[in-house]
Amino acid sequence: MDPIIVTHDLKKVYRVGKVAVPALRGVDCIIHEGEFVAVVGPSGCGKSTLLHILGGLTGPTSGQVLVAGNDFSKMTDADRTRFRRHTIGFVFQRFNLLPTLSARNNIAIAQHIQGNGFDPHRFQAVVEMLGIQEKLGHRPYALSGGEQQRVAIARAVICDPKLLLADEPTGNLDTENSQTVLNMLRGLNKSFGQTILMITHNPEAAAVADRIIHMRDGRIISD
Amino acid sequence: MVNKLILSNILHRPIRTAVSALAVAIEVAMVMLFVGLAHGLVNESAQRQEGVGADILVQPSGSSFLLAFSQAPMPLKIGEVIKDIPHVQAVAPTLILFNVGGLNMIYGIDMDSFTSVSGGFAYHSGGRFVKPYDLLVDDLYARANHIKVGQTVLLLNHEFHVCGIVEHGKGARLFIPLQTAEDLLQVQDKGSIFWVRCTDPRYTGEVIDAIHKSVPGRQVLAVKEYMALMTSNNLPGLNVFTTVVIIIAMGIGFLVIFLSMYTTITERTREIGILKSLGASKGYIIAVILREAGILTAVGIFAGYGLAAVAAKLVLARFPTLAIELTVEWAVYAAILALAGSLVGAFYPAFRAAGLDPVDALAYE
Repeated sequence: MDPIIVTHDLKKVYRVGKVAVPALRGVDCIIHEGEFVAVVGPSGCGKSTLLHILGGLTGPTSGQVLVAGNDFSKMTDADRTRFRRHTIGFVFQRFNLLPTLSARNNIAIAQHIQGNGFDPHRFQAVVEMLGIQEKLGHRPYALSGGEQQRVAIARAVICDPKLLLADEPTGNLDTENSQTVLNMLRGLNKSFGQTILMITHNPEAAAVADRIIHMRDGRIISD
Repeated sequence: MVNKLILSNILHRPIRTAVSALAVAIEVAMVMLFVGLAHGLVNESAQRQEGVGADILVQPSGSSFLLAFSQAPMPLKIGEVIKDIPHVQAVAPTLILFNVGGLNMIYGIDMDSFTSVSGGFAYHSGGRFVKPYDLLVDDLYARANHIKVGQTVLLLNHEFHVCGIVEHGKGARLFIPLQTAEDLLQVQDKGSIFWVRCTDPRYTGEVIDAIHKSVPGRQVLAVKEYMALMTSNNLPGLNVFTTVVIIIAMGIGFLVIFLSMYTTITERTREIGILKSLGASKGYIIAVILREAGILTAVGIFAGYGLAAVAAKLVLARFPTLAIELTVEWAVYAAILALAGSLVGAFYPAFRAAGLDPVDALAYE
């Protein structure tokens, strides 16, 4: 499989007032298409920052990031946004559904933003796979945490992204719903070859992945 | 989909939506009412002058076309000279008084000559002057001030006896005998205006030329020409007043929409972060915010039309002597002004939203 993510000496420094806070201190890694990778590590180790950079939400301070062959360090914010729209799907710990929209529209808006219009066949396939057909008319407040996360996964994969980035996807779920969500991610990876990079604190969640990357103090300490 | 998102946002915050739309409605109604009132009063006044039935009016040289300010009198003998000009059917001298307390124009008229020019009053009740301090009022003034025939009215520091109520539309709303007007102004055999009626309106130009020759140094205007001059654009200060009203109204709309959208952006920071994480461009987010402001404004504009119509009815019911012209032209202008103010107001919040850092926005509590 071709590498979908390549980072080389990736560094990110945040500035808090006049104080420089290094979040990533030189991350080198390669992730191939079709892999299911879990990134684990204590709070503040830089795993969320890594995910944000890989998702194009923020740029690196230095180093190289290649995602699907595109060098983020040379791309503008607008270019990264465009790239993200077509290539990356996000799943967040707090689900991050738009509260005023129904589940159906929360999923459909991703297709709309992508600009390819509503694809009913893809939509139907995704909602059936995630088992949320009965919940499409509900707004987020009327859904359980597990249901919300399944809608969020549906939204993330509806445009068939090359890369799915999941930031603590089970962090707000009970054990049963966590298992359901992990099974779905596993299923997406196995059945459709979806590349997934998942950040988690939970060793049980990480165990679902094919590969586990450990981070500490802004560096990868084991892979 | 964007429309669904905008609509759901609008419906999700009904109080904010209602307040924003109401502010725009007030803006639109304010522009329409104030401009409508200014135009209405000017046009209604002009129509009343036209309603006298004269073809020509003669004023002292340099007079304002605002008749209320034309008190500088001319000798009544001028009227006799004009009357002898061919094709002149009748001449009616009028001495104009201005009742500052009630902001009323009062015509001191010679009943016979005024009747010759105007065709006479249509009386709702009572009849013509009998005594010097008799007063005729038009029906609108009577209704507005609850005046009935036989009642005493204090005007120009004198008590007048209401002898009749006449149909409106003959120059002024209040009429007193010419002699009484002269006494009050302490002048003798004088008039502020001569209304001239031709035997046929086709002779108006010819008669005007003859008047210029016979009584030189007077301002002679065809009533049609006067009507053309009596527009709000020609009234000193009215355009400034209208502009100030428009600026204030636009300011209200701008500030409310600005505040509303700014608050919305703050409230929805996380949602904007979500859209950004989905790949929404800056343009997409700006379009969402501006379209939301546009929809709020559109609702406000239509509510403003309704508000203006209701307010105009209420004002006219309470003050029948006023006139408000709610025109389609100004409805369109008011809508454009409201939309422009709102979009300008929403512009900064929209740009601010588009410029949010997606990571910060997603972390926003």
